This record gives sequence, C-alpha cells and structure tokens, in this order.
Amino acid sequence: MKRILLAVLVIVIVAGFAVAGARPERAAPDVQTVRFWYHLDDPETSLNPLIQKFEAENPGIRIQAERVPWNAYHQRLLTSVAAGNPPDVAQIKLWWQPQLVEMGALAPLDDYIAQWNGRNDVYDRVWELTRHSDGRQYLMPLQMVILYMYYRVDMFNELGLEIPTTRDEFLRVAQALTRDTTGNGEIDVYGFGIRGARGGHDYWGSFVLSSGAEFFDAQGNVALDSREAIAANQWFIDLFREHRVSPPTTPNDGFQEVIANMLSGRTAMTIHHKGSARQMIDAWGDNISAFPVPAGLTGRWTSFGDEQNGVFAASDVQDAAFKWAAFLAEAENNQLWQESSGQVSINISNADRDFGDLTRFMNATTDSADFAGVLPAHPATAEFVESVWPAAMQRAFLGEITSEQMMRDLANHFR
Amino acid sequence: MKRSGHRANLYPYALLSPAMLATVCIVLIPMLYTVSLSFMNHVLWRPQDMGFVGLANYARALQDEVFAISFRNTITWVAGVIGLQLILGFATALLLNRDFWWRGLARSLILIPWVTPSVITALMWRWMYDGNSGVINDILVRLGVIERYIPWLALSETSLPAVMIALMWQGFPFFAVMILAGLQAIPTDLYEVADVDGANIFQKFFRITLPMITPILFTTILLRTIWVANSLDIIFIMTGGGPGYASYTLPLFAYIRAYQGLDFGYASTIAVYLTLLLVTIVAVYVVRVLRSEDAMR
Repeated sequence: MKRILLAVLVIVIVAGFAVAGARPERAAPDVQTVRFWYHLDDPETSLNPLIQKFEAENPGIRIQAERVPWNAYHQRLLTSVAAGNPPDVAQIKLWWQPQLVEMGALAPLDDYIAQWNGRNDVYDRVWELTRHSDGRQYLMPLQMVILYMYYRVDMFNELGLEIPTTRDEFLRVAQALTRDTTGNGEIDVYGFGIRGARGGHDYWGSFVLSSGAEFFDAQGNVALDSREAIAANQWFIDLFREHRVSPPTTPNDGFQEVIANMLSGRTAMTIHHKGSARQMIDAWGDNISAFPVPAGLTGRWTSFGDEQNGVFAASDVQDAAFKWAAFLAEAENNQLWQESSGQVSINISNADRDFGDLTRFMNATTDSADFAGVLPAHPATAEFVESVWPAAMQRAFLGEITSEQMMRDLANHFR
Repeated sequence: MKRSGHRANLYPYALLSPAMLATVCIVLIPMLYTVSLSFMNHVLWRPQDMGFVGLANYARALQDEVFAISFRNTITWVAGVIGLQLILGFATALLLNRDFWWRGLARSLILIPWVTPSVITALMWRWMYDGNSGVINDILVRLGVIERYIPWLALSETSLPAVMIALMWQGFPFFAVMILAGLQAIPTDLYEVADVDGANIFQKFFRITLPMITPILFTTILLRTIWVANSLDIIFIMTGGGPGYASYTLPLFAYIRAYQGLDFGYASTIAVYLTLLLVTIVAVYVVRVLRSEDAMR
C-alpha cells in the first residue's frame, strides 16, 4: 500500500513538472503568431477590426494582441526583456528607446523601412524625432500627440480675457480666472490645473524648457541646474505656491484628477492632448476650446507625446512582426487606430480629413507642431519621468526643497 | 529488518518532500537570489555594468536620505496601523461578543472591509479624501470641524496618516474576528466566580479577559505586523509614495527602485534590510513563546 502511495506521489510530482514545463500549444507550422503588446486609454476600444483586416490580408500571420495596463506597461516590458521573453512587437514611448537599445532589445528596422512603400506618407518630423541617437531607426511610427492648452471659452468671454501668448499674459489670465464664483469667500475655480504627480513633467516642460532651461548644453553637459533653469523652475513653482492659480491638491494631482477638475469646472485651463477632446466636448460642448501653450522667455516648448511600435530582437518572427507594425502605420489603418486611441495620425495623407467638432483641437495640435519637442534620448530619462521628477516637483511645491535644490537633484540624476 | 526500519524512517520525508520542494522552489531560491542580488550592481538597462559590488549597496542605503525617510515611515506606518487596528478591532470584538438580536448579521457585515480588494479600498478612499470634491471634506466642513477643504493626500503632514486610516479600516476586522474567537473561548464560569467575588467590569476585563486572550492577541499582532510592514499596494495607489517622499515605506521604496528605476540590486538591499527588521520582531516573538512554554512545563 505504501509503495502504491509513493508511486502515485512520484507520478503526480513528475506530471506536475511536465505540465508546468510544457510549452503552450503552438499554431500550425505554416502560421506565424505575432505577440503584440499595446495600451489604449479608453477601455471600451477594441483592436479586433484592425486585427481581422490584417489577418485577412496576411493569411499566414496571426496577431495575438495583449492589452497591458499603462501603469504597469514600462515595468512589464523591461522585465520581459530581462527575462528573455519579450513580445514580438510592442507600443513604445520614445523616452524608453535608449534603455531598450542599451539592453539590445530592439531590432533595427532600417532595411525593412527602406523597402516599405508607405515611408513617404509619414511626416519627416516624425522620422526625425523617432530616430535613435546612433542614427538607426528602431521604431515604426504609430501615432503622435502634441500637448496644448484646453480652456473654458465661456469663462474667458465672461471676464473679457484674450488668449495668452506669453507666460506673463498666461499668469495674468490664470489669476483672473482664479476666483470665488459663489460668493462664499472660498476660491472655487482655479485658473490652471497643474499635474504635480507622475506625468506632470509635460506641464513643467512647457514653462521651464521654454524659459532657458535645457537638459544638456551644446557641449553635452547636464545643464538643468543653470541659473536660467532654476529661475524658470521658480516661476513654475510660484504658480502654485505664490500665485495660487492651481488647486491646493496640485502636488498629488495625476491625470485623473486634472481631467476631473477640468470636467467639473474646478479649473479653467489645463494642458493635455487630443485624447481628452471628446470627453471635454461631452462635458462643455462649445464652451471648451484649445490654444498652443504660451511662449516663455526663450521661445515655446510643448511635449511631443508619441507612440511607436518596436520589433524585438529576440523575436523569431521579425518579418511578420514588421509587417504588422507597417500595417498599422499605413494611412487607412492608422486612421482606424486613431479612432480607438483618440490621437493624431502620423500620415500626411490623413491630414486633410474632416475632423468635425474636433477640428479646433486638431488645429491646436498642428499649430504646436513646430515647437513640439521630446525629452532627451538618455537612459536616465525613463526614471526621470517615472519617479525622479514627481518626487522633486512635489517637494518643491510643498516648500520642502528650493527651486535650486530641485534642479540640482534633477541634474544629478542625469550626471 | 533493519532495512525496512530505514524505509519507515524515510517514509515521512517522502510524504513531506512535495511541500518541501515547493517551498524550496518558490520561497528559498528566490530569497537566496534576492540576497545575492543585494551584493550586485544589477540595473536592468545597464547590462554591461552588472557585477559584484560587495556591501556597496548596503553602505549606499545608510547614506541615502530616501532610505532614512522610508525607514522612519515604516516604523510609523506599522506602529500606527497596528495600534489603530488593535483598538478598533478589540472594541468591535467586545461589542460583537455581547448579546443582541442582529449579532449574526453584524458579525458578517464586519468582514466587508477585510474582503474588499486592496485596489478598490485604495481607490475608494482616494476619492473620499479628494481635496476638491471628497465626501470626507464635505462632511467635516458641514460639521464645522474644518473651515475649508483640505488636500489630505497632497500634504506631507497628512498623506501618511490618511493612508494609515484607510488601511486601519481594511484590516481591523481581522483583529475583531481573532479577538472574538479568543473571547468566546473564555469559560463563562470565570466571570460567574468574579461576580460572586464582587469584581467590577474593569477588574473582570484586566484580570480575566485580557490575560486569557493575550496569546491570541500576540499572535495576531505578529501576523499583522508582518503583513502591514510588507504591504504597499494601498500606499502606491493612494499617493504613489508622495507628496515627495512623505509616504514612502521600505517595501514601496524597494518596489519603486526595482520597477521604476529597474535597479534590482539596490532594491534587493532595501528588501533585505526590511527582512532583517521583521526577523528581529519575529525573533522577539519566538523567544517569548519559548519562555512561556518553558514556564508551563
């Protein structure tokens, strides 16, 4: 009896390991499966129509798409690379590119792109911005977003305000919009909703990088702690601490809070991209519109929010993976993608489409294209965005550190 | 004969081996790997710089301002949350031990916070604390406790206490249920004898109730200390550790270093420090248990 029990035990253990170690069922040998990771803000959107279209056009390729939550996306991508099991294609932010290239994770796509018919239908600026500093093209453009200022038209009209074009005008407008509308002695509308938590570097960049601050100087030295940068940063901190034109919750306000404040009428202006336009129209109709961010002391800067598709070097179906990435970058398919993502197509031939009530937001996007910039292609940029900037900014907003200390912390991160 | 005796000796080990094997694979090996990582420079995106650095990460932690803040916050977090949960859980258990007609329902309802997933708890409390439209601010203003809305999660003085209250709400039912079980195990004749002797309610509590449930109390505090010290999900969702580093705790700091900085070497060092802290607490518990067992012999 004991022997039987032991034998059963051994069989169960061995079977357990066999099952655990078994590879997942593979598709038929003549069908290649491309694992694709993506993220879309709106959970109700679906890629199925695009996938069906691609699979119908490419019968030998099956797309296995996996939607990864945005908050965990970067972490999952990097750990999958480190574990040697990345997807074949994935949506990638530009500021992750240096890390991924450093890890040898991305396959160069220059040869593929040279033979791709659609390459001339993508904006030159997009190719330029997405090319890596080593001169190679690792990413296939997918969508672009350029950040601009949302504003409440009715509030501007009520107070007789003009659209601000400089940072000083912007401050005056924001101060005028910050008011007690109910007469109870409490401020209930704030001029400008600032995102102080993760992701707020875009807001910061629009005012600090346009007024003399730069990550690196012409010689390639870190320059974030220059006198001009510290002064520009102080101006930005003062919006919250001195002028109080943003809500008291600013240090901890993330994407949801900033958008919710705008939708509820708590704030009169905020920075975001076309992805929020539909929500804003649903809330405020014609009373919401957009303008390019105002100029700082040395010019204008807004964030070129980007998404590309990268093909991974570890993929054993790179040809098929590129086909999928290229398919998504073709005008018709790319427009379908933008209908899910709410962003802007990277194709020249999509520019003349009728955008209906979104036209004013498209205009703000295209009007900002000339001065839209990206964060430096540096391996430390990703961590700067994820945790270094938010912690330093929040401490500066709360007065725990000075503008100089904050900029020194940021500079040291890149040194 | 000797051979079969030898086999009989091996038999319990054979039965235990699957569990031991699983423990080795999913606990011991990752643990040893973490310890080994703590002596390495292991930044995922700098594969060419990876290598053994000895105690450098340990020395770095001791000079790191964020580590010091996280360490202090961890002590405050554990002591505060456990203290609040114990008080509320104890009071709840005493109430639920009394006789009232809907006691069964009350005992079930009290478990709701405990079974609510942490993500939901965190999101719920985050919006309740909201400084622009949160219900907590609304109630406090209406009651006249505060004059204007307070951005609880955006101030360094209030963010950690605010998250502690959220975790207190989630975790006190565990204390309540455990203490209730202890209370129900106390023989009623002890109280009857105390009544005969003329003991008042406080004397009965401190002379009978408290000594009788002390072992269960101690075990519950130990378990919760380990869980609370390791928990980071609620903090991460509610404040992300902010504002600044105001609500950073050691596990959160380790998580952020590992998954946002991708610095697994330093993150492992922070995790090892946290483990040492918890091992110290467990050691105190084990010594106490051994002493009480000795005393009973």
